[in-house]
Amino acid sequence: MRRWIGPLAFGLIVALAAGYAAIAAIPYGMMKIAMDRLGRGGINQMSQGPLATPARQPVVRPSPDLAYSSCPFDLAAGPLEIMVVPVPGRYSSLSIFDAATDVAFVRNDVEAGGKPYRIIVAREGQVVPPGAEVVRVGHDRGIALIRLLLKNPAEIGSLDAIRRQSTCRTVTKSK
Amino acid sequence: MKSWHRYAITLVGGIAVGLGGAWGLTRGGLGDGAIRNGPWTTSLGYGTKATDPLTRAMVARSGLLALPAKETLYWMARTDASGARLDGNCRYRLSGKPLDARWWSVTVYDAKGYLVANAANIWSVNGASVPLDDKGEWHVTIAPDRPADGAWLPGIKGQPFDLTLRMYNPGAGVRAGPSAAALPAIVKEGC
Repeated sequence: MRRWIGPLAFGLIVALAAGYAAIAAIPYGMMKIAMDRLGRGGINQMSQGPLATPARQPVVRPSPDLAYSSCPFDLAAGPLEIMVVPVPGRYSSLSIFDAATDVAFVRNDVEAGGKPYRIIVAREGQVVPPGAEVVRVGHDRGIALIRLLLKNPAEIGSLDAIRRQSTCRTVTKSK
Repeated sequence: MKSWHRYAITLVGGIAVGLGGAWGLTRGGLGDGAIRNGPWTTSLGYGTKATDPLTRAMVARSGLLALPAKETLYWMARTDASGARLDGNCRYRLSGKPLDARWWSVTVYDAKGYLVANAANIWSVNGASVPLDDKGEWHVTIAPDRPADGAWLPGIKGQPFDLTLRMYNPGAGVRAGPSAAALPAIVKEGC
């Protein structure tokens, strides 16, 4: 039995290390899955998803009261420009999540004064357009998500045209 | 058995135990938040950089892309007021005063956090869809079948279910003292 003391201690250390590594890796893995599911409209492009139903649930615990527009992004080719057009008198928010699932930025329609606004998402050191409002993130990849609250699902028909005015794209020129 | 055989066995076993333990520890979801208020639980750490790795992993598995508390408070209930697991075969009365938030909704999910099909295509109620009575309270029946009158939120027949309460732009009082906030009561009426 004494010959197992060393291996068992080794196994315990391995278990702790594997557990810690797995817990640290889970957010990145879940984010990659979400980006793959939400990114079917393309990376660095805003996709206006249909309302969540049992047949369409790209992420766990989706809200059936929200119209989600998503922009999975990759900053490898340059900063990302997000243009947001709020729907008057209706809760909406832009949130930017990095690859670790951390929130880098949130702004709702009230904070925006109900007016359209522009955000540049960039890594440290990336050149950004002068005068732009910039959100610096620590990872190339992530998801920008716009939530628009509906009083009932039927409203999506009348609000869809406005929400489609929100866009995202890679900035190719820093002006 | 040679010495390296023993180390190889414990290496494989250690990896398996570590990965399994990590998966088990992170499956509690939003319901294992640190703040409790009756049957509801939440955490003020969701969606922030200050969140510890374990909470971050739990949220990634059960509430990916969750907003920080200033923007939205996510409460989850898995039990009724008596502590019994929410059962899709039973009838519950969900009721309360208007909540201290710009907007709120309650959504029914299965135990894994997904919407489940029902004939009415209803999965949530919100502050705009529930009328107030003479006492300024709202009431919703959660049951597998539509009640004779009043607001209805279909349960998930034959399964346990979870409720998620979202409070968008919660009031400062709720954020300062979430465990004492007035939240909806969940009372079982029968099965």
